[in-house]
Amino acid sequence: MKKENKFKLSLQAILTDLLFWIYIFGCVSFLINHWFEKPIPSSFVVIFGVAVGLISFILGLSVARKVFLPTIRTAKKWYKSFWGWSVFLILLITFVVGWNLVEVDLYKLFTKFQNAGGIMSGIFNPNMDILIICLTALAETIYLALLATVFAIPLAFILSFFAARNLMPRTFLGNTVYIIVRTIATVFRSIEAIVWAIIFSVWVGIGPFAGMLALMIHSIASLTKLYSEQIENIDPGPVEAIKATGASTLQIWIFGVVPQIISPYLAFTIYRWDINVRMATIVGFVGGGGIGLLLLQQQQLLRWQNVGIIIWLIAAVVWIMDMVSAKVREKLQEM
Amino acid sequence: MKSMIELKNLHKVYATGTHALKGIDLEVNEGEFCILLGLSGSGKSTLLRCLNRLIEPTSGDIIIDGMDVVAAKGKKLRHIRRKIAMIFQQFNLIKNLSSLTNVLTGKLGYSSLVHSLTFSQHKDDVKTALENLRRVGLKEFAEKKTRNLSGGQQQRVAIARALMQNPKVILADEPVASLDPATADSVMRYLGELNKSDKMTVICSLHFLSLARKYGTRVVALKDGKIVFDGTPKEIDEKKFKEIYGEDAEEVEIR
Repeated sequence: MKKENKFKLSLQAILTDLLFWIYIFGCVSFLINHWFEKPIPSSFVVIFGVAVGLISFILGLSVARKVFLPTIRTAKKWYKSFWGWSVFLILLITFVVGWNLVEVDLYKLFTKFQNAGGIMSGIFNPNMDILIICLTALAETIYLALLATVFAIPLAFILSFFAARNLMPRTFLGNTVYIIVRTIATVFRSIEAIVWAIIFSVWVGIGPFAGMLALMIHSIASLTKLYSEQIENIDPGPVEAIKATGASTLQIWIFGVVPQIISPYLAFTIYRWDINVRMATIVGFVGGGGIGLLLLQQQQLLRWQNVGIIIWLIAAVVWIMDMVSAKVREKLQEM
Repeated sequence: MKSMIELKNLHKVYATGTHALKGIDLEVNEGEFCILLGLSGSGKSTLLRCLNRLIEPTSGDIIIDGMDVVAAKGKKLRHIRRKIAMIFQQFNLIKNLSSLTNVLTGKLGYSSLVHSLTFSQHKDDVKTALENLRRVGLKEFAEKKTRNLSGGQQQRVAIARALMQNPKVILADEPVASLDPATADSVMRYLGELNKSDKMTVICSLHFLSLARKYGTRVVALKDGKIVFDGTPKEIDEKKFKEIYGEDAEEVEIR
């Protein structure tokens, strides 16, 4: 092993051990505070964590030793070793802390069913009188999902070429374009559509247009990623062959790349529309319009029979979309 | 006789550090059918791909039909490539397009973008493409997607595509390595015919000496990035064969 490599590994190991034990003592102090209402200063947590971490590391028994620098002393069955019991402890304590943080209460779950009686009876006695209003809102949702998908396609299609490693030359310009497009797509995708909906509902006002914009941004980012991965998986042979005929770069893309990706692109796009219809409901909740907004309003008014019909309609649409898109994608695979 | 291809001290070092070509000097005359022999990894594919700059040579000169290939850039390079057709081991057709469209892509180097997008509207292009398909005996397969064709048929479509370029040189990178022996011979026969009747210069890498003897007018053998033999197919005896392929090699006849 190289010297600097060993140094780096040791550093990683020590840090891991310290964080490992600081976390355990942090959990312990949370539980003590939670159960006995005795706050423990964080300096205590750090001091105990660092102490136990360091000692176990120096003795060569710790978890990080096992992971980064395995020796004879750590090569035992887990239940016969210190690291084994440390891992057991951290898993156990994480579960206990999680249980308390989430306020898991099985008593409520099994005894307070009657609280949901209103919504349950609403679901089984949906109010058919507002069917027309609901269908209008539902149409809004489906069409906003459709438009979001349609608007996203051309942009994502073009961007995907610049986000494909195998198409971007490994020059300064090529790398820069690739990294910029990739980064923007990743950042925009990691921001949930619901957050975009909040932003756009302030920007253009509450309504389906805001929802459409939110879904569009999210769709562009995620289709760019899916599309470009598809390009990276194409057979390079035809591209090479087209290049050898003396074709220009654009001709190489159109004749060597596009025919290979067109049917997976269609499949992804239809899948995306399917996702967008589902997300459009959620986006509606925060101001994106459509059936989601209607559901929110009726729920706040405690009109459970109206909520009932809306839930049935959403379920039906999601179910139908799911089936249709699965069938279409199946057909595309055969092409 | 006119010199068609001239290589001077050609080197290729890959980014990984592999020295694939170590100073190749080679002159191929117009109308020759030059067979490249050598083990996998001896540099045959690299050499062929340097000739049309699918791979950038590290140093050295390449002159093809009087044109400096190494110095060419952009449009100039694409114009040189039009005259050098290439055939691949894996055929490299676009599998979900028809044979006809695949053949038409051979014309891309001669077409503007708009022209190439409307290929099927240009009667003379389609006519030439069909004529080339007929030459390789596949006229009735024009509308078929190439994924539904057999290996031998696919390679013949690839030859028709090469013909579209109206090339002076054909580079063939193990064109028959994925085919059964009988089909291999028929594909080689088409290449041989192009060489004889169309006077195209062919450089073709192969593994079968029997095919080399039957179709080649000249054999160049590579080993470890260097030329270790240059002569006529007849001159390769058992001793020479072992020099090229190593002591343990036995010649396998395919018939």
